[in-house]
Amino acid sequence: MTIRENYVVPKRFNMIAFTLMVIGLLTIVGLYATHGSKEDPIAQARFWGSLLQNSVYFLLVVNAAMFFICATTLAWGGWQMSFRRVTEAISACVPVVGTICGVILLLICFGGNHEIFHWTDTEHVKHDKILSFKAGFLNKGFFAFMTVATIVLWSLLGWKMRKLSRSIDETPLNVEESKKYIWKNTVWAAVYIIVFSLTVMSSIPWLWLMSIDAHWYSTMYSWYTFASTFVAGVALITLFVVFLKNNNYLELTNEEHLHDLGKFMFAFSVFWTYLWFSQFMLIWYANIPEETTYFKPRAQGIYSGIFWLMFIINFLAPLLILMRRGAKRNYTTVTFMALLIIFGHWLDFFQMVFPGHQKDKVPMMLWDFGVALGFVGLIMFLTGRALSKSPLLAKNHPFIKESVIHHT
Amino acid sequence: MSLLRYESQVRPALVEGDKDYHQVTEDICRPVEARPSKLWWIGFIISVLFLAFGILSVTVEVIYGTGQWNLNKTIGWGWDITNFVWWVGIGHAGTLISAILLLFRQGWRTGVNRAAEAMTIFAVMCAGQFPIWHMGRVWNAFFVLPYPNTRGPLWVNFNSPLLWDVFAISTYFTVSLLFWYSGLLPDLATLRDRAKKKWRKAFYGVAAFGWTGSTKHWQRHEALSLVLAGLSTPLVLSVHTIVSFDFATSVVPGWHTTIFPPYFVAGAIFSGFAMVQTLLVVTRKVLGLEEYITIEHINVMNKVIVLTGSIVGIAYLTELFMAWYSAVDYENFAFFENRLNLNSPYGWSYWIMMGCNVLSPQIFWFKKMRTNLVVTFFMSILVNIGMWFERFVIIVTSVYRDYLPSAWSTYYTPTIWEVGFYMGTFGLFFTCYFLFSKFFPVIAIAEIKHILKRSGDNYKEKMDVVEKEDTIVFAEKQAHDH
Repeated sequence: MTIRENYVVPKRFNMIAFTLMVIGLLTIVGLYATHGSKEDPIAQARFWGSLLQNSVYFLLVVNAAMFFICATTLAWGGWQMSFRRVTEAISACVPVVGTICGVILLLICFGGNHEIFHWTDTEHVKHDKILSFKAGFLNKGFFAFMTVATIVLWSLLGWKMRKLSRSIDETPLNVEESKKYIWKNTVWAAVYIIVFSLTVMSSIPWLWLMSIDAHWYSTMYSWYTFASTFVAGVALITLFVVFLKNNNYLELTNEEHLHDLGKFMFAFSVFWTYLWFSQFMLIWYANIPEETTYFKPRAQGIYSGIFWLMFIINFLAPLLILMRRGAKRNYTTVTFMALLIIFGHWLDFFQMVFPGHQKDKVPMMLWDFGVALGFVGLIMFLTGRALSKSPLLAKNHPFIKESVIHHT
Repeated sequence: MSLLRYESQVRPALVEGDKDYHQVTEDICRPVEARPSKLWWIGFIISVLFLAFGILSVTVEVIYGTGQWNLNKTIGWGWDITNFVWWVGIGHAGTLISAILLLFRQGWRTGVNRAAEAMTIFAVMCAGQFPIWHMGRVWNAFFVLPYPNTRGPLWVNFNSPLLWDVFAISTYFTVSLLFWYSGLLPDLATLRDRAKKKWRKAFYGVAAFGWTGSTKHWQRHEALSLVLAGLSTPLVLSVHTIVSFDFATSVVPGWHTTIFPPYFVAGAIFSGFAMVQTLLVVTRKVLGLEEYITIEHINVMNKVIVLTGSIVGIAYLTELFMAWYSAVDYENFAFFENRLNLNSPYGWSYWIMMGCNVLSPQIFWFKKMRTNLVVTFFMSILVNIGMWFERFVIIVTSVYRDYLPSAWSTYYTPTIWEVGFYMGTFGLFFTCYFLFSKFFPVIAIAEIKHILKRSGDNYKEKMDVVEKEDTIVFAEKQAHDH
């Protein structure tokens, strides 16, 4: 068996990536010309909303790759080692996508448009009893601080984890050294998980997304957002694994690993639905106006079509299609489902961002889709570059052999 | 050579000592086949006494009515529902270990799953007592079953989460029982085949359902395990989710919050694992099973405890934050006055909860603590106290001073019969557990054998050559064999 350890980015791959990025940029320019440059603040918000939705979504999705690494490190998982480098490469997008996202968030926060984040309008806040009450949390300084600190921490800790992984590429370890190595990984993974739980699992979605509907609140919100991006993150990992397999790389990854990735997509789609249903049902059941205001436009108003489409794509499809064992071991089905899931949760973020300020009509989604393609191109380019920079096989990792003989 | 059984030597062994299949059977069957020890009798008799006191307490309550408890119009749910939720929560670890960890292919579950599943079943039995006897006129308890009846239009209320509870818990109990029992079959057959006395042979013979160990039996057994695991996995989540709906669907400040379902489930697993630790730290010592329930098992379960404890911690802080962020006066009052304020009547209970559930498990970040049996035992008790207080805080501090100050309750303390009832469920729980540990193997013999040649001490040592092999050479050999 020959193992192709060094990935060379195919020219066509980068061509596609650049084309997508150009489409994205053109869409952004077009969206700016038609909406962003207008006097009407709601039209402006439509432009910024698109950037917000896409940048936050794709940042959280690529960041989920590092969460996957750290969670499996803490759980002493072995099966995923054969494609560990793929996960690492995706997580290497965090600094760049994070910077873009951070800039967009700060521009929205400090720019003149207050339609997306009402609470940035200090004049308005003075007369709004609830918003002035919340000003201790919803203020520009804190928002900026949390945004910058979070993105920097994710990037740094991810960099540290990747560096640790590459540090043993040339040196096989004996059992004692392996134990020490695992311990070191565990410590850094634990630090990352703590940071993750204080950001993604709590404060960050409140600031970046929930504060669009600044009067509304839901304790579930952050966990729900996490579930959404984690399942999309696993889908993205799966896509890259399938891509590399198709190009005759990752010789040691086979249907067994794909099967487990499929299980993750299945399980976390159901988990997402569980949180989605719990949040919706409890608010629907109690029927308190302060809370139902969030679901009114989404479930019953003009956005209800997307609401139910999401239910089909994010729940029914994975449930019915990925249930079968054979489906999870079939490259075509898994690829299709991964694409569908990434799109479905992108829709979820559309629902989180737009109904808060585009109240009269649902924005034409083609624009946002164009912006999304730009981010897809960027992620393709960055991941491809990261993949080509280190060997594709973490061959000295203590658990790699478990992954080689893995069968589900 | 094809290596279907290999595990990195970095992982500690899950079966210690020089074991072969026969030795495993001998070790685990020994406590079942030997006469019960003095210690067993003492424990059993104490449990039966507790149970007897519980029966007396319930009898008094049935004869004189729920007035025998100190519940009042404001605090309609007190110790009874607190205890109910507490026991249901404990009943989560067993099925999590047997079902979810089976799906995740966690080898360490084999050492602890049998006892944990048994514990689950007993805990759910205890939990079920509380809503039943709380009904007061318990002879009407069958009213909860939805069927066309002669009571005119008097159907159950399908809109009520309390009814969903009936379905959720009875389903959970049934599936857990099936899972536990189907896992027991091969082991019961082993006991039957080893039995020397006639009555033992007859008893285990009937219990083993004619298991012969044929390939066909194993094939069906494996398929059934997987199906039951698939069915139980959503059940682990649904039970406590629906228990949380009992509170969260209401409009009571402190109860109505969307994070309740996953947070209740995390809390349930947290308390369930604590109870597993309490039982197993003692069981492994008393029955001499330290080589099967190893320090590594304790270590891993303590990791689950620090994980779920921290998830619960994030949920507490989220609730607290949202109580402020919501800018709703009532939410604010429920959290910051009724709970957080140490000088309010029940402030102390909130801080016991925080201390036991969030702060104290953090010591399990350190391996020294996770592998220390005394610390583990002490912590497991602390967590169970903390989780009891969590339910008490949620239930009592939310209702005792609600919207109308004129309805605020005086200080609520349980009567002797309320306490007695709770003690009685401990009696029931431990009576069942003692009987279980006497008549059934507390470790799944067949499943331990399944991992023995991969995770057993002596087998792992033999893997030295493989361990040192270059990964690519290793992979080539494997590819060649397939």
